[in-house]
Amino acid sequence: MRNEAGERIRCFALTKAGTQCKNFSLEGSEFCRVHQPSDEGDDILEAEGFETPEDAAGAVEDSMDETAEQDLRRQLLAELDRLIERVQAMTPGYTPPPFSPRRLLKLIAENVENITPEIGLGILEKLRSTIGEDIFDVDTWKGIWYMLNYTLEYQGDILRRRFTGEYETDEWGLDMEVVDAIKPFFDFMYYKYWRVETTGFENIPEEGRALLVANHSGQLPWDGSMLGTAVYNEHPTQRLVRTLYADWFPTVPFISSLLTKTGQALASEDNGTRLLEQEQLVAVFPEGIKGVGKLYKDRYKLARFGRGGFIRMALTTGAPILPVSIVGAEETYISLAKSPLIANLLGLPFFPISLTWPWMGPLGFVPLPTKWYIDIGEPIQMDSYSPDDASNVVLTTQLSDQVRNIIQDMIFLRLAQRKSVLFG
Amino acid sequence: MSGKRVVLVTGVANQWGSRVAASLLADPKYHVIGLDTRPPGVGFEGLDMIEADIRNPLLVELFQSESVHTVCHLKIIEQPHLSESAFDLNVMGTMKVFGACVQAGVSKIVFKSSTAVYGAGPRNSAFLDEQSPMMGSRKNGYTRDLVEIQAFCNGFRRQNPQVNLTILRFPNIIGPTASTPMTRYLSERMVPVLLGFDPIMQLIHEEDVIQSLVYCIKNDYDGDFNIAADGVTPLRKLIALAGKYPIPVLHWFAYWGSSLFSGVGEGGGSLNPYDVDYIRYPWVADTTRMRKIMGYVPEYTCEEALREFASRQRVSQINPDSTRMALDEERLRDTLERRRRSRERNSTIPEGQMEVIDEE
Repeated sequence: MRNEAGERIRCFALTKAGTQCKNFSLEGSEFCRVHQPSDEGDDILEAEGFETPEDAAGAVEDSMDETAEQDLRRQLLAELDRLIERVQAMTPGYTPPPFSPRRLLKLIAENVENITPEIGLGILEKLRSTIGEDIFDVDTWKGIWYMLNYTLEYQGDILRRRFTGEYETDEWGLDMEVVDAIKPFFDFMYYKYWRVETTGFENIPEEGRALLVANHSGQLPWDGSMLGTAVYNEHPTQRLVRTLYADWFPTVPFISSLLTKTGQALASEDNGTRLLEQEQLVAVFPEGIKGVGKLYKDRYKLARFGRGGFIRMALTTGAPILPVSIVGAEETYISLAKSPLIANLLGLPFFPISLTWPWMGPLGFVPLPTKWYIDIGEPIQMDSYSPDDASNVVLTTQLSDQVRNIIQDMIFLRLAQRKSVLFG
Repeated sequence: MSGKRVVLVTGVANQWGSRVAASLLADPKYHVIGLDTRPPGVGFEGLDMIEADIRNPLLVELFQSESVHTVCHLKIIEQPHLSESAFDLNVMGTMKVFGACVQAGVSKIVFKSSTAVYGAGPRNSAFLDEQSPMMGSRKNGYTRDLVEIQAFCNGFRRQNPQVNLTILRFPNIIGPTASTPMTRYLSERMVPVLLGFDPIMQLIHEEDVIQSLVYCIKNDYDGDFNIAADGVTPLRKLIALAGKYPIPVLHWFAYWGSSLFSGVGEGGGSLNPYDVDYIRYPWVADTTRMRKIMGYVPEYTCEEALREFASRQRVSQINPDSTRMALDEERLRDTLERRRRSRERNSTIPEGQMEVIDEE
């Protein structure tokens, strides 16, 4: 490889002594002849012989494969060198504490709880298999030492940075570190608990503004979080859905700050329009609180659709409307009645009486493990209208009813196919 | 007055009036009259000081005899308690000054207000434009008075369209020397926040407050404008950047405590910027009009203003990096960045507006 001036640059790898390699790099590569990784270098850590000690031990016994074993080792080292190189490029100032195998084991023992179980187990198993394979090599250990120290330093850093304010939020308060922290819980609810099946991702544009309009149900706004999880996990461009929430939520501690930190916004026309103008993917639940607080006997009957604010948002910004039906959320809580008196006393928008709530206390919050279906319908384009049409009340109410009927039909279609509430 | 434009600054002895006057005095095109009950101290050569109360009935004659062109009204008491005497000076005083301006044919009034007039509530949009309803807290003396003044100004504009009334609304003001609700809130090591709430906050640097007021005295812009620094920050990040510790308080206790302590000394005022709602809900203002119509850009961004404030404060102990030298280095880096931006703007701004930028 050559630099801008056309001179050959030196090899990127580290030597066994831990110093920078002084050889010149080969043409079209960052490494010299010695450190040149093979083509399958990227997958080397997943190589079979490395994962299972028994197989590898067998391979060592076979003298025929001795040279192959040497090759594998060299490739491994090159791979490790490359990883270190990448990390060093990210943080030029960082140097790990001095290395000794004993100290490495101590570090691992101290920090096994701090890293996620999967990663910890992965590291330990890899180490175990390395020792089993008897390729104990100072360079390998040094590489692992470096990577581990860096990981722990970085993880400890997150906590420190929360206290020193060195984290980034956008103008809506979105904090990606918080999103990453709570994602595992919503992933569990999505994949394991409700086993959500989502169709129609192809209808969501890969980039640019779009407005998801969905039915609301289920006493607590789980449906919004599941729609967000679905698109974030399974859409090809991993878009973050900006859900517009009802004005009751900002008054609730923790929910208020959680909604802000995950990039959601209060349901107001200004907010929706501004988000769409910033080319975001916005989700609205036009039924609002009326939809969430539906009784079990009214399930899947769409409530009135607000005053058509979402249509005005779409018209002024020209964003396509994507109708969304969510089936399964209605049965997560069986709400039999509502008590306006208690709701008034507690300052809540509604107070449901369900099979489990409030009789069983906090257990009443646990939703039933129903089977969910989220269907994202084909976009309704707003190109044929002009932004001025947003003030045309006849048009907005008509469009609002039209979208409502589409969503209602989608729900009925899905309900007709569904055989069981719990198993789909 | 030898062709100089006459600008009268009320409240010239307080922190805002004195600095606006000083900034105007540096410009030979203006003749500056200061109006207050006491002089602003030393270092105001060329200031035409008149010691009088703004509620004086002879104000009309003063404006006429001095042929005042612009009045910059800054004589407002920023106190948290509901007080009749403060209301009299703030609201009645403003009405009398504005009334005198009409009588005396003053052509322009510049007034400093606050975005706190929009109020903090769960129904607030993420960005409040100048048309948003005035829901400011009635429990805080300063915000109540400003809401009253705003109601008066709306009528005033209808009745006297010939007077150019510019109202600048600032969010929390922060800076090394200013004494504002926000700097008092951040003055202690421990800062009370509400458990489970972390609203987005907006700031402006004190220097930019002076700059924008002077900018509006020198150029004509009719109407209300939100003036705020670039960028917003969650309250906890703001406190962390200022090098303080947040102390979470259950919001019921906070409301109860603030109602208990309001009106008792300074303590009630420094527990939170205005009212408990103001650290519970967002009240971020939209600055589109400032950019598009006024063409004004504050020098400091939100984080720069905070870092500048923090660097003058005690050194935090949580962050081992925040030694004095590190903060000093950070501040110089910000200063260099600001000067670079300012130069860039200067090269793109047309000739007529050049004078405004190099104020420092």
